[in-house]
Amino acid sequence: MLESLIVIKDALPFLIQGSFTTVVIVVGAMFLGLGLGLAMACGMVYGRRWVRLVVGFYVWFFQGVPVLVLLFLFYFGLFNFMGLTLTAVAAVTIVLGMTTAAYQANIFRGAILSIPNGQFKAASALGMGNVQAILYIVLPQALRISIPAWSNEFSIILKDSALAFVIGAPEIMARTQFVASRTYQHLPLYITAGILYFILTWSGVKGLRALETKVRIPGFSLHGN
Amino acid sequence: MLKRNLVLFVAVISLIAGGFTTAFAGKKIVNGIDANFPPFAYIDKTGKPAGFDVEAMEWIAKDLGYEIEHMPIDWDGIITSLMTKKIDIIASGMSITPERLKKIDFTIPYWTINIVMVVKEDSNITMAELMKGNNRIGAQQGTPEAKWLKTEAEPRGWNYKLGYYNSSPLAVEDILNGRIVGAAMNDAPAYDAVAKKPVKILGSFGMEPEDFGYAVRKDDTELLEKVNASLERLMATPYWDELVAKYNLKN
Repeated sequence: MLESLIVIKDALPFLIQGSFTTVVIVVGAMFLGLGLGLAMACGMVYGRRWVRLVVGFYVWFFQGVPVLVLLFLFYFGLFNFMGLTLTAVAAVTIVLGMTTAAYQANIFRGAILSIPNGQFKAASALGMGNVQAILYIVLPQALRISIPAWSNEFSIILKDSALAFVIGAPEIMARTQFVASRTYQHLPLYITAGILYFILTWSGVKGLRALETKVRIPGFSLHGN
Repeated sequence: MLKRNLVLFVAVISLIAGGFTTAFAGKKIVNGIDANFPPFAYIDKTGKPAGFDVEAMEWIAKDLGYEIEHMPIDWDGIITSLMTKKIDIIASGMSITPERLKKIDFTIPYWTINIVMVVKEDSNITMAELMKGNNRIGAQQGTPEAKWLKTEAEPRGWNYKLGYYNSSPLAVEDILNGRIVGAAMNDAPAYDAVAKKPVKILGSFGMEPEDFGYAVRKDDTELLEKVNASLERLMATPYWDELVAKYNLKN
């Protein structure tokens, strides 16, 4: 017992450094997913037929192929083929970002569709163009509605980031394994890793919850008010 | 308000960009290691790569005037990483096998390793009972012993069930959990396990000893020649024997 505690105490700074790598991967992936996902959601709702087809294919592909397979395909295959010398962390960030984009696209699509169509028509009646109506009327509401589902996606990506180890990104899980292999204290170390992940997820979800409350519009919200 | 968000946004972006930068300057070689393979390669208490192969490679790099970086990579992906130029060399207790020689080249052998079976310390099972008693045994995925155990079972009349692990320390953990009765591994990591956990080495199970070599890409003949020459020099120095003693390779 005491031996385990000493190992954990010694390993903690090393593991915490790993959680910075995890945070970089997750934040990068979530923002990449936000940009791509939002664009694709608009494409799915408002786009022409070929746009809808292309986006549909993208979503189908990234939802259908396991993240681990995608990591191998992109890191050893596509990125190499394109002549990109990306670090493992960068490659994981991009792959996770592109994966979460597929899921986020559906989150935003649902949110956009939940805004009554009458608002779009009213915006047009007031002389707004389509793009203006989307940017200033629909999206501000849709984004607010999306936050709860988005925070689910955040916690999923956070945990998926543990897969980064297979291509050599030194995040929490990889570092936990390294220390465990040297000290043979597997269980105490994995518990520690679990706690680190829990703290990260909890702070992220709490933060998003705070954001949800902060951007809430009185009179228009799912909370009633 | 907007300004503060902007600052935050820029901070986040630069943090990400920091992770993206790849620095490749000068004569630098990247050594891919399986950091779950003590005593040949592991991460030490301070978080730095260490181990017999890591220190040997440091010596060789210094000898050749190269800068060296040790990059931990999952064993499953390590040969692919070498072939796709993510790393330049694998100095991490890799056995020279005919299958691997089809894809990559190896330096001269620098260490001969025996493959042994590890069981619980208080177990009184014999090797014959272990192999024929319908037991579960484990091996690290992607290793010659895993392959050997799978192909040799039928011709030899063995009836164990084989489980695959990410590393041999994990297999040892599962011996203690009672999920497998024995685990096949190289003798040096087995000594390491015996020193740290209540397990013992049951003995060899019939697999021939294997030679370790450092692996490079097939088209990288210049590096191969240089490392070979340097490795010969290193093996002739007393430092080599010091390393062998330091990492307890001979037990």
